[in-house]
Amino acid sequence: MTTRQHGANDVVDAVVIGTGAGGAPLTARLAQAGLSVVALEAGRAFRPDEHVADEVAADIYWMEERLSGGSTPTAFGSNNSGMGVGGSTLHWGAFCPRPDPRDLRLRTLTGEGADWPIDSAELTRYIAEVEAFTGVSGPADYPWDATRRYAYPPVARNAAADAMARGCAALGITATDAPAALVSRDRDQPHWGQRQACVNCGACHQGCRNAAKTSMDTTYLPLAVAHGAEIRAGARVVAFDYDGRGRISAVVYSQNGQEHRQLCAAVFLCAGGVETPRLLLNLGIANSSGQVGRNFMAHVATQIWGRFDAEMRMNRGYPSSLISEDMMRPGDAGCAGGYLIQSLGVLPVNLATGLARGAGLWGERLQTLLRGYNRMAGIGINGECLPHADNRLTLADEVDAFGHRKARIDFSYHANEQAIDRHARRTLSDIWAAAGAQDICAVDRSAHTIGTCRMGHDGDTAVVDSDGRSFDIANLRICDNSIFPSALAANPALTIMALSLRTADRFLASDD
Amino acid sequence: MTPPTLLFLHALGASAREWRQVADHLSDHDCVALDLPGFGDAADAGHADVGTMTDWLAQEIRARDLTACVLVGHSMGGKIATLVAARAAAGEPGLANILGVVLVAASPPSPEPMDETRRAEMIAWFADGQASRDDAETFVDANSAETLPEALRDQAIDDVRRSNRAAWLGWLERGSREDGAAAVGQLALPALIIAGTEDGDLGEDAQRRLNLPHYANARMRVVQGAAHLIPYEQPRALAALIREHAALATTAALPEDFARLLDSDRVSSGTRAAMLDRIYPMPVGTALWDDADHATVAALVARILPDCGADRALAGRILASVAQGVGDGWRFAELPDDRAAWSRGLATLDTATGGFVALADPDQDGWLDRIAGGTVGIEEDASRLSPVQMRLWFEDVRAETVRIWMAQPATMAAIGYDGFAVGGDGPRKQGYTRTGADDPEAWQRPSQERGA
Repeated sequence: MTTRQHGANDVVDAVVIGTGAGGAPLTARLAQAGLSVVALEAGRAFRPDEHVADEVAADIYWMEERLSGGSTPTAFGSNNSGMGVGGSTLHWGAFCPRPDPRDLRLRTLTGEGADWPIDSAELTRYIAEVEAFTGVSGPADYPWDATRRYAYPPVARNAAADAMARGCAALGITATDAPAALVSRDRDQPHWGQRQACVNCGACHQGCRNAAKTSMDTTYLPLAVAHGAEIRAGARVVAFDYDGRGRISAVVYSQNGQEHRQLCAAVFLCAGGVETPRLLLNLGIANSSGQVGRNFMAHVATQIWGRFDAEMRMNRGYPSSLISEDMMRPGDAGCAGGYLIQSLGVLPVNLATGLARGAGLWGERLQTLLRGYNRMAGIGINGECLPHADNRLTLADEVDAFGHRKARIDFSYHANEQAIDRHARRTLSDIWAAAGAQDICAVDRSAHTIGTCRMGHDGDTAVVDSDGRSFDIANLRICDNSIFPSALAANPALTIMALSLRTADRFLASDD
Repeated sequence: MTPPTLLFLHALGASAREWRQVADHLSDHDCVALDLPGFGDAADAGHADVGTMTDWLAQEIRARDLTACVLVGHSMGGKIATLVAARAAAGEPGLANILGVVLVAASPPSPEPMDETRRAEMIAWFADGQASRDDAETFVDANSAETLPEALRDQAIDDVRRSNRAAWLGWLERGSREDGAAAVGQLALPALIIAGTEDGDLGEDAQRRLNLPHYANARMRVVQGAAHLIPYEQPRALAALIREHAALATTAALPEDFARLLDSDRVSSGTRAAMLDRIYPMPVGTALWDDADHATVAALVARILPDCGADRALAGRILASVAQGVGDGWRFAELPDDRAAWSRGLATLDTATGGFVALADPDQDGWLDRIAGGTVGIEEDASRLSPVQMRLWFEDVRAETVRIWMAQPATMAAIGYDGFAVGGDGPRKQGYTRTGADDPEAWQRPSQERGA
């Protein structure tokens, strides 16, 4: 990518903060519309083949310390937070079911949670556009949506997927090949080059080394650069300047230890569910609603593990190659919303820390399971989480290297999450027993960072409007998982990318 | 495990022959002494600059397809050994079989300290082609504490005289002055650094200043009464030191088939470098932890991972990781920063149990059960952890212990994991072609563990 350079005194049309699923698609869209755009990324740029197929050495995660409280504290770092040009899409699992339309109207349908101020059909049009531009592999017939078509055939199932298919069949639960945001055939990606077919290496979370997986650095960012956008890596935003009308006039950032300013007409803050609210709280802006940091949500991500007689070698193959949406509305569970089921193959360190933390194991049982890594396989969920007043991000007293206070996130399961967790443990254990697993155990876990800058119709109860525009600062827009009013059971990245395109379109259609 | 092959690299103006007496004392090892390009029987190869010599050695190692080897470099050969070790540490394929380095009065990766008058004199010896017998005698005698036995002295003199002129001048004028210190950095590979008490420019002081900082896991030894030509002067003492170091380096060796897989083109340089780096821990300032802390953590390791026993080395890695403060991107809000949490957690464990290490295994397990249940701790004491904090800290201890253990290449070998060998640096990554149960690929090592 040859990048156009904007001068320090140029007033660019837009500065985008963060180059992940929230920032990258809109950067491309704005640049394609002829706007001058500078995207600032805190992390460094990677070539795909620079990624390291090693759980400890992979360096694509946001590893600056966050404090985790509440009765079910959620893990950060490699669990959910990315750093680098491409953001969390460098390490995401690429499991990309579409959001269930019912989940966007949860309040209307169940009286709980929150409705999205966006029409499901409109969001789906953007999702289909993202799928078409990035290339998704999936089944020819999707049991829960007869209209669904995927561009590429599904990737090979691995041993965990075969076991889940077996267990589900025995229990009458429908399961099929998972929609995966990767290409199962070579693909020429416009403005980037060849993305090679997935080779089943199993190291998606350490960074895809042959660009099979959809990642912003191999899809939307090259498109953006081809249309004149500039990406500045290693650029950490620390402050804003304002004009007399309270609009942001410049973004102040630190790069290589030096402070820089980029004059701009508009700002898109796309730093994710933790860093976005943290920046706003540290700067004390955009919070007349008092909602910044509130309603933090993490998906219920309970896992069930077991030992098989067969040699599973679960690190082989795309890790989550089977899906079931049958539990999206488990009638008897006592929860609003529901959960997706996926087969799980994880690498050894992930398994070990999961069992040691989330299953509370140590001693002979833990040792035996880990020694038998090659015979282990898992099954897990991604379950709806409702916003709750007690679950929120605040600022700790400790500061980081830039003088900003660290984030403290308090998160506790409440009735809905507890009900989903209970139902999933029972259902998944049954599936795993039917599949032939022994020594079955559950791992408590939550995933993704959602909420904290919710969108809505009312500036008293939301941080941004349905276009992602701040109620307080006219030229500030937010686009990432922080603006989700409710969690949706579907993994968030696909929805974030769709919202990103929509945010750009709404901005371009506005009178700014 | 069979002892590693010892690869010997000679000094300026010498040849493979300088190692003959040393090798005689190491007859239970496979000893390979090489003639560097421009010297000994390879004199006709002419001048090879340091980079070319390094390439050549790397290629020699690959071509020999060794299971495991230790590089032994004397003087000029020491610089080449360090430069190749650095390339191995960077993950270059085919070099992961290097288990250790022995530097004998070695030239450092930085410019070699050399009196300029002497340098000019040595350059002048080859001004007209070959060095004279007199000049070669001067060279050999000046580098020996006592005059060498006649036959050996003649051999050493002969080797000087048959050196290729361009190679001799190239080292003195350029190679010895090249500065590769920054590129080498600090290596984790275990090194034995040897100096002669009577050596001049490359004596103990120079070794400490110029070679030692490049090796995180290094031991220094001096050979009494030896000057610079230690292989000729003290072959028996030198052989004993080399034997000891080879044995030590072998303890970290990976199973042969695993090591070959790690060295294969299925593994990227970045992944290989990361795994090699983890075989040998980088010592960090341990002022934070005392011996009792290490003993307590080792006892915890034995309870968490019974296969490991009270593994002091693993405990050391865990405490070093905590001391480094890298973290994993988050911590429990209820706990202080990791270092303080571990200090206070270990202190609380000792206070509450009246000495954890001395307890019988079942009693230790009982305490850990109660800690996990949130009933053990000391409230309102800034140097201790409360029961709630102890419960969370013990979760951190479990996670950190299994994380460090699982990431060890030796553990991967033991459990039959090969997920690191899924894509080298070629244009197509290998990945896996088979993904179903009980369907291994031909290259995969068999799993040790059988089903229940």
